[in-house]
Amino acid sequence: MNIPVFRLFGICLLVISSVAGAGDLVTDPVFETHIRPILKANCFHCHGEDDKYEGKLDLRLARLMILGGDNGPSLISGQPDQSLIVKRIVAGDMPPGEKKLAAQQIELIRRWVANGAKTDRPEPQSPPVGDFTDEERLFWSFQPISSPKVPTVANTGQVHSPVDPFVLAKLERHRSNFSNEADRRTLIRRLTFDLCGLPPTAEDVEQYVNDPAPDAYERLLDQLLASPRYGERWGRHWLDIAGYADSDGYTESDPVRTYAYKYRDYVIRQFNADKPFDQFIVEQLAGDELVPLPYENLTGDAAEKLAATGFLRMASDGTSGGAADPNLAKNDVIAETIKVVSTSLLGLTVGCAQCHNHRYDPIAQTDYYRFRALFEPAYDWKNWRVPQARLISLWSAEQLKTAQQVDAEITNQTDVRMKELDAIVQEVFDREVGKLPEEQRESARTARTTAADKRTPEQAQILKDHPSLNVDRGSVYLYEAARINTFNTEWDKRIADIKTKRPKEDYVPCLTEVPGQIPTTHLFYRGEFAQPKQAVNPGELPILTLAHATEIPVDDPQLPTSGRRLAYARHLTDGKHPLLTRVLVNRFWMHHFGKGIVSTPSDFGFLGEKPSHPELLDWLATRFLADGWQLKRFHRMLLTSAAYRQQSVRRPEMDTVDPDNRLLGRMSVRRLEAEAIRDTILSCSGSLSDKLFGTPAPVTVDDVGQVIVGIDTRDSAGRPTDKKVTIGEEEFRRSVYVQVRRSLPLGMLEPFDMPTLSPNCELRPVSTVAPQALLMMNNDLVIHEALGFARRIQGIAGDHPAIQVTKAWLTAFGRPPTSDQVAAGVVFLTDQTQQIAARIPADQVAKEPPAAQQALANFCQALFSSNAFLYVD
Amino acid sequence: MFLNHHSRRHFLAQSGVGLSSLALTWLLQDQAKAAPVKPTLERPTFDLLPKPHPGKPQATAMISLFMQGGPSHIDLFEPKPELDKRHMQNFSGQIQYDNAAEASAKLFASPWKFSKRGECGTELSELLPHLGHVVDDICLIRAMHTGVNNHGQSINALNNGRVLGGRPSLGAWLSYGLGTENRNLPAFVILSDPQGLPVLGVENWNNGWLPSLYQGTVIRPKEPRILNLDPPPKLQGAVQKRFLGYLDQLNQEHLTQHPGEHDLAARISSFELAARMQTAAKEALDLSQETEETQKLYGLDNPKCAEYGTRCLFARRLIERGVRFVQIHTGNQHWDHHGGILTALPNMCQVTDQPSAALVTDLKRRGLLDTTLVHWGGEMGRLPVIQNEKNIGRDHNTHGFSTWLAGGGIKGGLAYGATDEFGHKAIDKVVHHFDYHATLLHLFGLDPLKLTFQRPGGTGSLLDGQDGKIVWDILKNGPHNAAI
Repeated sequence: MNIPVFRLFGICLLVISSVAGAGDLVTDPVFETHIRPILKANCFHCHGEDDKYEGKLDLRLARLMILGGDNGPSLISGQPDQSLIVKRIVAGDMPPGEKKLAAQQIELIRRWVANGAKTDRPEPQSPPVGDFTDEERLFWSFQPISSPKVPTVANTGQVHSPVDPFVLAKLERHRSNFSNEADRRTLIRRLTFDLCGLPPTAEDVEQYVNDPAPDAYERLLDQLLASPRYGERWGRHWLDIAGYADSDGYTESDPVRTYAYKYRDYVIRQFNADKPFDQFIVEQLAGDELVPLPYENLTGDAAEKLAATGFLRMASDGTSGGAADPNLAKNDVIAETIKVVSTSLLGLTVGCAQCHNHRYDPIAQTDYYRFRALFEPAYDWKNWRVPQARLISLWSAEQLKTAQQVDAEITNQTDVRMKELDAIVQEVFDREVGKLPEEQRESARTARTTAADKRTPEQAQILKDHPSLNVDRGSVYLYEAARINTFNTEWDKRIADIKTKRPKEDYVPCLTEVPGQIPTTHLFYRGEFAQPKQAVNPGELPILTLAHATEIPVDDPQLPTSGRRLAYARHLTDGKHPLLTRVLVNRFWMHHFGKGIVSTPSDFGFLGEKPSHPELLDWLATRFLADGWQLKRFHRMLLTSAAYRQQSVRRPEMDTVDPDNRLLGRMSVRRLEAEAIRDTILSCSGSLSDKLFGTPAPVTVDDVGQVIVGIDTRDSAGRPTDKKVTIGEEEFRRSVYVQVRRSLPLGMLEPFDMPTLSPNCELRPVSTVAPQALLMMNNDLVIHEALGFARRIQGIAGDHPAIQVTKAWLTAFGRPPTSDQVAAGVVFLTDQTQQIAARIPADQVAKEPPAAQQALANFCQALFSSNAFLYVD
Repeated sequence: MFLNHHSRRHFLAQSGVGLSSLALTWLLQDQAKAAPVKPTLERPTFDLLPKPHPGKPQATAMISLFMQGGPSHIDLFEPKPELDKRHMQNFSGQIQYDNAAEASAKLFASPWKFSKRGECGTELSELLPHLGHVVDDICLIRAMHTGVNNHGQSINALNNGRVLGGRPSLGAWLSYGLGTENRNLPAFVILSDPQGLPVLGVENWNNGWLPSLYQGTVIRPKEPRILNLDPPPKLQGAVQKRFLGYLDQLNQEHLTQHPGEHDLAARISSFELAARMQTAAKEALDLSQETEETQKLYGLDNPKCAEYGTRCLFARRLIERGVRFVQIHTGNQHWDHHGGILTALPNMCQVTDQPSAALVTDLKRRGLLDTTLVHWGGEMGRLPVIQNEKNIGRDHNTHGFSTWLAGGGIKGGLAYGATDEFGHKAIDKVVHHFDYHATLLHLFGLDPLKLTFQRPGGTGSLLDGQDGKIVWDILKNGPHNAAI
């Protein structure tokens, strides 16, 4: 990690857990369990894994340590102070570099040597290569998914859904149980935000609260799952992990990906349609291999399958130009795509094995390149296709023909235009020549028509002494500004008129292969593409094949494509993969409960956290499969549970044993995500657009550098022009439809932890910082929408302050205020009306909103800024 | 184990300043070195807490007076006797023009007189009478070079190290590397001109691919001075106080129903901090606290330079309160004198000369000059030949131009390097933009090679692999007593 020392603070928090883990030192350590992981992470790279071992010393087996290297035996059993391995580590010589072993780790090694360097079992002849230790083989997440029995619990009255016994059993072991069910107002707000990312309307709340039917909750749930808003909300979760962006990133120019939204729309549609997840994943990994070649004259279904592969086109891509090292840029696209795929679907940090064997997980460098070989027929770095070349046209055959005709006409007309322009240039030149003394004119003319390197010194001198002679197509406007302006305007219009005949361009970005072009994948020594080593074949990570064997074809004869990704996708989704469904259901769980059963949703490896409820995780994965991979069924099962429907209030007795609520003895209080905050403000004010899909709402920079939704009207030098282009409802579209320009994060979203894409967002942080407070207090949009909210409330409540307070409260929080709260709100309105009225100058009274309305807006803004608004119980 | 981890996070969140805390950092630093660093499962968090200067700093703050457009070095900073002699003769060298239609090969001597100023005797133009008073405190670099003839590209070179845009600006790097000394104010402040933004607009204070926390905060040339810092005027003061009081009441009630929720408490205190920031920023910008003598020093009583003087005085007050980097921009192309230079150049000097010199004087008498680096300069100089004989001007020249620095470890009373006999090309002791950057990072105790940021395309830095050399000649302390 090349982070300078003074930048290390940020990651200190990561360190706490790994240090704390070594807190209670084992008294009698054994090699496989306690020592090998330390050496694997810190020493094997030079002493075991590389082509040659430094100092001819191999540390992969205790036996080999005793055998030693150039400096003699490294280990003398029972004598730590005589053993080189201990001496060199204690002296700080090893490992070399800044990263040293922790005191506890050193003590553990010392103790192990002192106690006789014990191993769990006799060591093999040679160190395991491509083989795994028992600890690795038996690691929890690599085991086949079990179908655990639903545990029995004492408090059966608290069981509403099959997930409840799993959670409750553990609580009961801690002599506890679920909290009481939350009230209906809390439930409908929680449920609506969780499923749709928006608050319930005041009417929705009242209807639900007063619904006497016993299945009121279940009907509400079905209603929300059927809403188009559901796909926007859950699609956004998936876009996080896919690393969705509307720009290429990587280089400073951050080119716009005009058609990336096709993938976003695809995702939202699949969630709304409840497409089975196995299909959803196969299409994203290999949709192109399901569509017959050539990709022309596409049907809707084919276009959709191709759009799905946008998943593999989300990584930043600097290959359209401007990257310092184009080959590095190409290989980075592949590396980043591998990170997206492996963190989202496998929950493993496979990317760590790009340069050397994974330090913690049993993923060898070879495994990484076998995995990479799945993608190389489409991402062939030696026959690279730039982003523009990875767009497939959605034109029909006729549209294509029309376009070609129009293009030919434009080319003709452009030739005519250039000829006319050259005539003007010549005319200006002749005039400039006319200003010269008679005797120089002829050589000036000759000089101009002579190539620069063929000019006589005299000719060159004339051009140099009279720089104004160097007129050309580009500079002629400096001489004849008005004429050239008219010329250009007329011609631009003429060409534009022709262009209107051209059918509108429409493309879908996708990952495809070039049939018959299958590169050989090589392992890159130290991850450097300039140092290719042995060739490798495509394949699944070997550690995952122990219980679930598979063969990935090098080139499937049944398909025009290589068939690699398709075979892998089918292997992943055949229902027997140990990781995929665990990883998926863990994410679904996380989005409802605030934390996953595995709290590191993209690391199910040795450094990840262990599941808090392992049986539940497996049971959920099994159930998800049995339910046909359908997410809406899964939501129903989770959301009807007693676990989900609990109150969120902390219970002191549970707080002492479980402050982080890992046992789920209550619901966790969660802050709204950035998008939900913006969308909810717009929904309260009534300005939120409900338009689905389509081109993203553009972002731009205002005159002080804040990124807002709007059209960029800056001039070519980046200066504001004060021009305003109204974009109507586009300005108020849901945040999922706002352009994700990597270099221009929206000012309204960024302070609230919108995802940073490097390359995807596995888990959003939740920060609480002063810029968020300043935004809620003073931001133009917030103040503007508060006024909109106030006007809307006036429309419902008229000018009666108590009713205004009540209605606004109901809309913002989904519950009525107490009488004390109404009274306090009314006093606030009275005070603010007075204060604001006193500030409106007499000549402005007619122009400004009335003081009472401004006071109400100020009240609405206080509601927006309050914790009751920003958090969900 | 996760409990331990998480409860610490709660503790930190409660402090309302994000996840990192200086005290904790120090406590943990040994552990950070000893324990294997986990791969970033969580991304590193970034903050603006003050960071120790890795080396021995001479400067702790910087004020950059950016003269966008390109002041004519030939008419202001570097007398050229040979040019005087050859006035109106044809220039024999190769020249790159920006505007060919108006270009002329005729040399044009400076119409303004130069004279020796201060004890050092550096020659300055009569257009800069005030600068002459502080010439013994400044180092005039006469052979600056970027070599790219367009405004935008040359601004980028000086501001972010490369001719391309989209990279982090100087102020962003300093904020990233060193944080701010005052939690209630931004680390990196921009004071833009009321007549408009300079060329490249907001690019000038871009954070590029550094976290956006390090972007420059614009103190606007009119009220409201800081974005999101103040509500509209009619909601300020007592109205906002009542707003915050009511919000606090709402939140306290809510908190009593959510006992033990640290995040909720942290958010309550984040509003308090935000309110403090409002006060602190306003206090910093309150010039009524300055004496009449100081206000006059900056020319606040002179309509010609009062506006620019106000911003110079803001800059001093911000630096005094712990802001790391302040950049003042003159308006769009105000120094770009392609024509009418005979009146436009004196005009710009009247706007900027007195306040710029006052800043040096004022910092010095307050003991702040030793640790505050002051920069004055544009992205280019001008050509020795005429552009537009009908309305005389000078075209772009990035092959040689002048810039001055003062304070923060810079040697005073020095004129360093030279352009050729006509003022066209830097020839003696050339300082490229990357040398300038290496030098000033050094003055801040930062190693130009170590101040880096990891990004998908590789490691990013200000110098970006260019061979920037520290210009030891212009520093008070040479390499022998430098700590890096």
